[in-house]
Amino acid sequence: MTINQYDTIIIGAGHNGLVAAAYLAKQGKKVLVLERRAIVGGSVVTESFGEGFTVDSVFAGGSLRPDIVKDLKLPLPKSASTSPTAPLSAKPAFISLQPDGNHLTIDAESIKRISEKDAARFPEFVRFMDKAASILDTAYATIMPRLPMNFGIREGYGLLELGLELRLAGRKDMLNFIRALPMTAQELLDEYFESDVVKAAIASVGIHGFTLGPMGAGTGYTLIHNWMNRGGLSHVNVGKAGEITQALANAVKSFGGEIRTEIEVKSIKVESQIAKGVILANGEEISANQILSSADPKHTLLQLVGAQDLPPEFVWHTQSIKMRGSVAKIHLLTDGKHGIPEGTLAVAPSIKYLERAYDAAKYGEISEKPYLEVTTSGNVVSIHFQFAPYALKKSSWQIEGLKVEKLAIDTLAAYFPNLKSSIVNRKLISPLDLEQTYGLTEGDLNHGQLMLDQFLFMRPIPGWSNHKTPIDNLYLCGSGVHGGGGVSGAAGRNAAKSLK
Amino acid sequence: MLQLKTTPFHERTSALCQPRNWRKWAGYFAAGSYEHTLDREYWAIRNAAALIDVSPLIKYVIKGKDAAALLHRVTTRDIHKMKVGQVVYTGWCDEEGKMIDDGTVTRLEESTFRLTAAEPNLRWLMMNAVGMDVEITEVTDDVAALSFQGPNTCKVLNIVAEKPVDELKYFRMMKNKINGIEVTISRTGYTGDLGYEIWMSAKDALPIWDKLMEVGGDYGIAPVGILAMDVARVEAGLFMLDVDYTSASHAWIEPQKSSPFELGLDWTVALDKPGYFVGRRALEKEKREGSVWKMVGLEVDWVGMEDIFKRVGLPPQIPGMAVRGSLPIMVGNVQVGYASTSTWSPLLKKYIALAHLQKPYFEIGTDVRMEITVEHHRQHAPAKVVKLPFYEPEWKKK
Repeated sequence: MTINQYDTIIIGAGHNGLVAAAYLAKQGKKVLVLERRAIVGGSVVTESFGEGFTVDSVFAGGSLRPDIVKDLKLPLPKSASTSPTAPLSAKPAFISLQPDGNHLTIDAESIKRISEKDAARFPEFVRFMDKAASILDTAYATIMPRLPMNFGIREGYGLLELGLELRLAGRKDMLNFIRALPMTAQELLDEYFESDVVKAAIASVGIHGFTLGPMGAGTGYTLIHNWMNRGGLSHVNVGKAGEITQALANAVKSFGGEIRTEIEVKSIKVESQIAKGVILANGEEISANQILSSADPKHTLLQLVGAQDLPPEFVWHTQSIKMRGSVAKIHLLTDGKHGIPEGTLAVAPSIKYLERAYDAAKYGEISEKPYLEVTTSGNVVSIHFQFAPYALKKSSWQIEGLKVEKLAIDTLAAYFPNLKSSIVNRKLISPLDLEQTYGLTEGDLNHGQLMLDQFLFMRPIPGWSNHKTPIDNLYLCGSGVHGGGGVSGAAGRNAAKSLK
Repeated sequence: MLQLKTTPFHERTSALCQPRNWRKWAGYFAAGSYEHTLDREYWAIRNAAALIDVSPLIKYVIKGKDAAALLHRVTTRDIHKMKVGQVVYTGWCDEEGKMIDDGTVTRLEESTFRLTAAEPNLRWLMMNAVGMDVEITEVTDDVAALSFQGPNTCKVLNIVAEKPVDELKYFRMMKNKINGIEVTISRTGYTGDLGYEIWMSAKDALPIWDKLMEVGGDYGIAPVGILAMDVARVEAGLFMLDVDYTSASHAWIEPQKSSPFELGLDWTVALDKPGYFVGRRALEKEKREGSVWKMVGLEVDWVGMEDIFKRVGLPPQIPGMAVRGSLPIMVGNVQVGYASTSTWSPLLKKYIALAHLQKPYFEIGTDVRMEITVEHHRQHAPAKVVKLPFYEPEWKKK
């Protein structure tokens, strides 16, 4: 048994783990990142499933928060650090697929054909959403105090700054922002638009990645959240997710950090409620002064630490974190004649369609008429399929995989008749695969649903929003903590900064 | 509507309970006393053999590979050190080190334990058993229990039990038979006297009661209710949940909660035991920094009482049973604590109380004054802080 001494061990080389590692390595800490897979990136990864079949397997593209790109001097293409306030027209198209083939691009110009009124309102909506996203971004940059416990002046300082930011945002926008959070996406959009087609297309972004329907409370918040991460409606840097995490990995190394892949952490070694190091699947122990886990809170606390070393009420709260993944990814390698345009395409014809697609998930069933979001990268077509719940009521993912794959292809082929004949190879990533391959408990892309009772100071659980855990020297830095959810790096950045 | 249950001994106890003074105990009817005054029952505890139906005690059987680990985690004792057949008294705390409940843990077999509690604790146990290979079963209704207390109880058990109990040490348990019926007998109790608790299947309750009453007749046996036991337990310095402390799980405000150190249970808190247990950090801190409150014994000065009563032309008046009511304790004109149970001790011939005092007034020998009511007027009788227990006969542990 070899024993190494590091300042910090980071479990998982997902984008948040790498962001935290880079910040800490940059401070001069001796950092070791341990990754179970052979490839770094976690869910922000571009990988190959065969010859010519290279694709962003989980998140389609994405970008880090601009301050992270700047702080870490990451050589990412400019668009990867697009500010959310950049004009929408500068971004790839967001297209709502229409049964008649007359697909609708969601921008002020194109929606005129559906509704002059909606087109006139569109710039004001974009302005509000950009503003709301920037307020949320500020909230995500503020490390939450451990409300309702131990609320002291020192911890309240960050909140003061946040309060100031909210005031500067302007009284009206601030009120509208706060009001929008618990609203349903439908209600929020009702206030701007009359066309169901327009509303549904935008609402689909609000439920993307979440087990929620557009008539669900809190989808106003999730719409703002996804708008912030995407910098609008459509995905950016599609096909280049891996470049983000590769750049981060290079930064970690350039700052003197170490990354080891194909190393599975079996457990976190705890003595007297203090984390001492990690124990690997091969039995090796590595000690460190601090452990940061970018794995989801449930896995970190209940599997890697174990309930035995944690206070009972904390365990209960951790068990109660809602994961509920219901996304499947279907990647298709084609001969290039798929006929699908570039941009982000949504099968989201009406609000009711989306809500009914979600209804199935409530009952542990796969949506018969699913909400799809489609991106292309050359010959590869990627379908994001909702809803395909991790916890199937009557069946298992070993059985249902093919059904979802067929349903996805059939649904999309209804809009693009050439699709089927163009398919050369296919790859399904079910919620079970998301758990087993990508380490996402219950296939939840966000390490815990972004619901109103699981955000801000209640993320990951009430009283523990400051990256700490009941185990001294063990911190959470993944998507499941405040700032996390989707691709942004905020959680990793905040965790590194909280260690000061 | 809440319906109180009856215990497996109800057919016998209800026939004997003359004053019909049923008390509510954990959802069961429990006889307050069997006679109209408590004297004979009290003296049965101290001089002969008292038979007390304690079936309402909440009982859990905890079984499985991790049974010891669960109790080690929940309670403050080092459960891994327990031998099969050993019994320990323990409290258990929340994460802030405040008492939730207290009871006994009996290691029935290597990986089978019985836990008694004053209140239901199943959810707390389940919450603590996450990831453990353990089965928790509440057996309150299935297991009947008799507390058999007093200096003659050993002799009675030696006659009725298949195996003699002479060798059964204090806080040890044995498997035995009475009338051919399997029972477990533990040398435990809530009176501070020589005594045993007999645990049996509910269906076997009546023949065992009958056998003990029959043989015990020659040894002064008396069925005893919980009022006489209340006097004896105060003499023994034993406190009671919801009377002398409030469970952290249903206290309204922080000051209502108590730590085991504050209740004088220092000896049950094994801070040197390995691994995590609930409340460890908070208890370590309290141990380091010292407790702000302590539960102590109080002896009220009889001459001082006489002086106060003399002013209205009366001799001292004392309630005829233990009083479960809060009485302010003063030093000068400042309240420094309160008595939670006070009683006349017939054996010690003293007016005694379990009192909760603030630092530094809990030191032994401190002079304080306890509130008494003299002809509807509040007065303060001089009292002294003394060591607990008030009474400990040599035969308790011998």
